[in-house]
Amino acid sequence: MTAIPATGGVELARTGETKPEATPRVAMTSRARSERKLGWMLCAPAVTVMLLVTAYPIGYAIWLSLQRYDLRFPNDHAFVGLRNYGAVLGNSLWWQDLTNTLVITVLSVVIELVLGFLLAFVMHRAIFGRAVVRSSVLVPYGIITVVAAFAWRFAFDPTTGFVNGLLGTNRSWFTERWSSYFVIIFTEVWKTTPFMSLLLLAGFTLVPNDAVDAARVDGAGAYQRLRYIIIPLMKPAILVALLFRTLDAFRIFDTIYVQTRGAQDTESVSIIGYQTLISRLNLGLGSAVSVLIFACVLIIAFAFVKGFGTNLAQQRGESP
Amino acid sequence: MRTAAALAAAALLATGLTACGGGGESGAPTLKWYVYHEPSGAFAEAAAACTKAAGGKYSIKPVDLPNNADEQREQLVRRLAAHDGSIDIIGMDVIWTAEFAEAGWIKPFPASEADAVSKGRLKPAVKSGTFQHKLFAAPFNSNAEMLWYRTDLTKDPPKTWNDVLTQAAALRKAGKPDQILGQGQRYEGLVVWFTSLLESAGGHVLSADGTKVSLKQGPTEKALRIMRDISRSPSTPANFATAREDDGRLAWEKGGAAFMTNYSFVWPSANTNAPDIAKNMRWARFPAVDAGTPSKVAIGGFNLGVGGYSKHPDLAFQAVSCLVGEKNQIVNATKGGLLPVSQSLYDNKELTDATTDATVDGKTVKVRSFPYADVIKQELADAVVRPQTPYYNDVSLAIARTLHPTKGIDPAKDAKRLRDAVTRALKGEGLL
Amino acid sequence: MTAAAMDAAGTGTNAAAVSGTHRAPRERIFWGVGIAIVIGYALIPIAWIISLSLKPADEITNGKFFPTHPTGANFTAIRHDPQFPSALRNSLGIALIATVLAVSLATFAAYAIVRLDFPGKALVLSGALAIAMFPPVAIIGPLFNMWRSFHLFDTWPGLIIPYMTFTLPMAIWTLSAFFREIPWDLDKAARVDGATPLQAFRKIIAPLAAPGMFTSAILVFIFAWNDFLFATALTSTDRARTVPAAITFFTGSSQFDFPTGQIAAASVVVTVPIVVMVLIFQRRIVAGLTSGAVKG
Repeated sequence: MTAIPATGGVELARTGETKPEATPRVAMTSRARSERKLGWMLCAPAVTVMLLVTAYPIGYAIWLSLQRYDLRFPNDHAFVGLRNYGAVLGNSLWWQDLTNTLVITVLSVVIELVLGFLLAFVMHRAIFGRAVVRSSVLVPYGIITVVAAFAWRFAFDPTTGFVNGLLGTNRSWFTERWSSYFVIIFTEVWKTTPFMSLLLLAGFTLVPNDAVDAARVDGAGAYQRLRYIIIPLMKPAILVALLFRTLDAFRIFDTIYVQTRGAQDTESVSIIGYQTLISRLNLGLGSAVSVLIFACVLIIAFAFVKGFGTNLAQQRGESP
Repeated sequence: MRTAAALAAAALLATGLTACGGGGESGAPTLKWYVYHEPSGAFAEAAAACTKAAGGKYSIKPVDLPNNADEQREQLVRRLAAHDGSIDIIGMDVIWTAEFAEAGWIKPFPASEADAVSKGRLKPAVKSGTFQHKLFAAPFNSNAEMLWYRTDLTKDPPKTWNDVLTQAAALRKAGKPDQILGQGQRYEGLVVWFTSLLESAGGHVLSADGTKVSLKQGPTEKALRIMRDISRSPSTPANFATAREDDGRLAWEKGGAAFMTNYSFVWPSANTNAPDIAKNMRWARFPAVDAGTPSKVAIGGFNLGVGGYSKHPDLAFQAVSCLVGEKNQIVNATKGGLLPVSQSLYDNKELTDATTDATVDGKTVKVRSFPYADVIKQELADAVVRPQTPYYNDVSLAIARTLHPTKGIDPAKDAKRLRDAVTRALKGEGLL
Repeated sequence: MTAAAMDAAGTGTNAAAVSGTHRAPRERIFWGVGIAIVIGYALIPIAWIISLSLKPADEITNGKFFPTHPTGANFTAIRHDPQFPSALRNSLGIALIATVLAVSLATFAAYAIVRLDFPGKALVLSGALAIAMFPPVAIIGPLFNMWRSFHLFDTWPGLIIPYMTFTLPMAIWTLSAFFREIPWDLDKAARVDGATPLQAFRKIIAPLAAPGMFTSAILVFIFAWNDFLFATALTSTDRARTVPAAITFFTGSSQFDFPTGQIAAASVVVTVPIVVMVLIFQRRIVAGLTSGAVKG
């Protein structure tokens, strides 16, 4: 917007359509150069902020993770090499929490994918009431996660809640492991399925209706149409949705914090990171946890890109 | 260019926002007192009284912290680690002293003030504010759990945990309310229970100097066995593993319970919310582990410390001396139901005869505020202090994590696991 | 998956909708039930938290869905709560400033990415994508330590900066997708017709760019409004603490009391504006989320 006066010239250089044949090379390169400069200048603030607030702290976290650095003992700082990593990786708690996190991630993402697909289908094909459906689906997306976690916690709580009454049970949901998991995953699924379904809805628009109708005419059943026509066409959208939701689910924090605080073995890696960093103020050990979480995220993202053979940047950005 | 201008504006905005909040100080300094929100207004009244008594030397302004002690600590240590100079006076849970003192977050009391604020105070309360032979926090109020029971169900209150179990079983057989209520969630309350049991059984978590693990097999196993048996009793509600103090109160007021270990706040609450139950409600000393050896409960309550980065430490010490004075203790007790730390006040008429209004059948009646003063005075005199180590937070986490859920305790095996976990915690290493 | 494609999908003019009128009533019932389920799915928890917030203290534990004697007592209580009103103020202020900053910076970047040719463009886009996947818990420790030395701990900028950062990728991607749809040549045409550059910008380009900016602003705002991790780790008093953190620190009527009713009331207060916003701007949010957006 601020660059509007420059646009005319830039446009000329870019499209080349109206560029006079005889423009000397020198002018072109100078234009290209000024365009390049402007591009960098416009991106600079955003890039600087992103680097300063993510890349620098991650570097700092790596440095901290190699120190004995506990804010409760301000005079006891020392370089300890990889000892903090040894302490984390050698502790069964880390592996337990990693397993918990992966279980929650996989279960909630799989359920969300199925439900999200159905929801997207309703939104895409419903013959009426589409606006109503889309509006109500956005409510869970917009609601604060902490609020959603409290709402479901109170709903499942045996003293305040209605769920036991509804099911005719008398269960204390947060006193056992599997039922705590159930409520946590339920909350996550409730809150994020809409997001998943909207990403999938975008995928549905990639599926031409005539292709599906043609298959129907050719005698393909509903399952076959789904399996051979719709899903292959939607693959890019499905992968994008899966990747983002997987990474998002992997960093689950708010719901567990509110509902169990990690009790009943529902602790996630983010909770233990927070606990070590903020509650114990052991920045050295906590940073080792942080760096390991970061590494896990990299591995997951890498696995997705490799495993599914897609270039996400290509999927997401249409060529300019 | 405009980008630069926008950035500059953002930076300006940032500095502008940071700048406010400091505030100019002229005349008498305002001492900020960080303490949990006390709903009756007793703390505010004490602050006002001491401000007045200071005659313009300083004024005290309470700043609210969350209710939950874990969250209070989390809030405070973050600010203290950031060397916040605006924290003058801190309302400290009795378990924080060593950690805060070691980190330099609180200052030791000068000798004269230390004497004044520990004279005539409950010994365990003073001990809880002491670290390495120096007083770092002045006792302010106290608390300990008692056993609550109902005369319409129980004539002779249980003396030991075994009595609790057998009496509950008998009530259950008779088809009467039989629930046993306690604190089984994975949090500090569980550590309180464990410490009380362990100390009653003659054991200790740490060595006397607080640097090494103790947890002798015999007493530890004994304590763990009781925890397991209570958790597995058919009389213990299914939600025990998530129960805190307030869950106990709510269940008690519903009428299904026969026994409850809980703090004194349940008394005024029951009188207001469940007068029918309250009229039969009685109290007894916290159950013992062995018959004949009186129980030792972990002392609770709050002390007041002076912030290590305070700009007015001398005035803050004076202010603390005033805040913890006996007059304010009486206000705290009669208005807020908070138990005093001065031993003599437990026999003071102002306290023993104090009454609170309760509503019964739409009528307002007077109920005695501290009918249990005798019992709790004894308990507090014999009370124990939870482990005093700068690593207390880690030790507490280690205990709660190892023992929760209490239903699944294996006494012999978990005594060893507990020792390992606490040893790790004392080194400040490893995840907890 | 362009913004335009999404809008087309959203306007209800595709084949399924048109042919729907010829379908059998049985199919109408099928869709009716499906839609009812979806609406129930989305709204039951909202109804529940509202009804919980209206329950008087002695009904909180009765296990019924609806209050028997609705009361506004919980709302009165949170209005006088020592921290909730300031938390609401902090939430609004911090989220709004973060939104303005993030959308402004993202607009520059997205404009450059869409309109200019320069090396490193792909790097900016993929870098932004990487940050969208970044686990915030990985930097709260370092940020806490940095903020404490820069005196940003427990201040508005202390939260605005991370919010802005974590929403920039989403804003850049959304805006790029929208900007690609803008017929920039119109601007040239207008100027050929004698409009000044400023007029051309104001009359032609700004109205075309505004919806995209607005959409990304909504998404950024929702992120900042929603965040709990930074809010709880980087604040400690009502000076900067936002609502999600404040709700979890609510105080009851005694030291041990758990304030269920007040938490519910506070939840309602912070949920209603979002629900209203979502309902009003439903089409824009859907377009934004599906146009290359990245959830923070």
